[in-house]
Amino acid sequence: MSENLEPSFVKQLQENQNIIHKICRLYTSGEDAHKDLFQEITIQLWKAFPKFRGESKFSTWAYRVALNTAITLYRKSKRNIATVEYEGRQHFTLDIEYNYEEEEQLKLMYKAVYQLNDIEKALVFMYLEDKDYTEISETLGISEVNARVKMNRIKGKLKKILNPLGV
Amino acid sequence: MKELDLLKKDWKKNAASFEQVSENEIYKMIHKKSSSVVKWIFIVSIIELGLGLVLGLALSFTKYDEKNVELIKHLGVYGYYIAATVLLYAVILYFIFKFYTMYRKIAVDDNTKKLISTILKTRKVVKQYIAFNLSFFAVFFIIFGGYLFYEGYLEGASKNGVIHPEMPLNIALISFIVLIIATAIFTCVFWLIYKLIYGILLKRLQNNFEELKKIDL
Repeated sequence: MSENLEPSFVKQLQENQNIIHKICRLYTSGEDAHKDLFQEITIQLWKAFPKFRGESKFSTWAYRVALNTAITLYRKSKRNIATVEYEGRQHFTLDIEYNYEEEEQLKLMYKAVYQLNDIEKALVFMYLEDKDYTEISETLGISEVNARVKMNRIKGKLKKILNPLGV
Repeated sequence: MKELDLLKKDWKKNAASFEQVSENEIYKMIHKKSSSVVKWIFIVSIIELGLGLVLGLALSFTKYDEKNVELIKHLGVYGYYIAATVLLYAVILYFIFKFYTMYRKIAVDDNTKKLISTILKTRKVVKQYIAFNLSFFAVFFIIFGGYLFYEGYLEGASKNGVIHPEMPLNIALISFIVLIIATAIFTCVFWLIYKLIYGILLKRLQNNFEELKKIDL
């Protein structure tokens, strides 16, 4: 791999790193696992980078590689493998108009999303990221119509998890 | 769904709140080794592909094989034996080549369904290879094991003073059945170990592939 690719890659990744953080947040729990997956995605992006010719935006390309790594390549390791340490953790913004009820609902919602399977999480992730169904279908390799249908089913599933008795 | 809208709002609000990784840390990360499942699949596959090769080579260097060769020459089927050996290695090499080309096709920037499908197909090559190897060795053991037992029996009998020794049908049958059962057990154990490794490596991929296929059904 040529040396001069490195600075360009590192710069673009640094600017777009929130994509990876968000995927890590959805697919892992705990700080160590988050770092572990972040590192693996970074390695996979770097390995695939020589093939990236800038036909699409770096971020679009990174979404795909990062999601694929989380869904297919990542092996959850129980032991803490040697990851590069970086300081601190996520800081949640404190809303001034703190709404207790909304906060509770959010907590439940996050919990419900964690119960979904890998593919369902990917759909929810792209939905939260305001990706259109064309991009969702192209990323996952499913038809656009069926991506829509699936998303509606996932909404139904989430509702059921939140309210199992259907009251 | 109003909860999902609420989640979206919060998701966007928190997007900027991740502790940022510095460029320096990214530099360090890209020089770390990957621990991805594809890497494990590659390592395990190479071991499995190599095992057949090593087993075949080891067998051909043993005394046991020398004795066989004498036996085969004596029987006048040496030509067939060489042909079978050449065929075995040709097939093994074909599998290794096929595995390598499939492995090269794994691209992390393909769509998810295609990526998983390529990985599973790559493993399928190894699966066919293992099945081929096991059946080859099973047939080999049954034929040669049976023949060696037969020869040994006759030799033993003539040492004991029998002039025209012959193996009674019941002994022939029983020994043949025992040999088949032993080979079957050996093959099954091997296959189970293989399946176990296969399962550990690919369970999650297979589940996700099924899920993706189900969406388009």
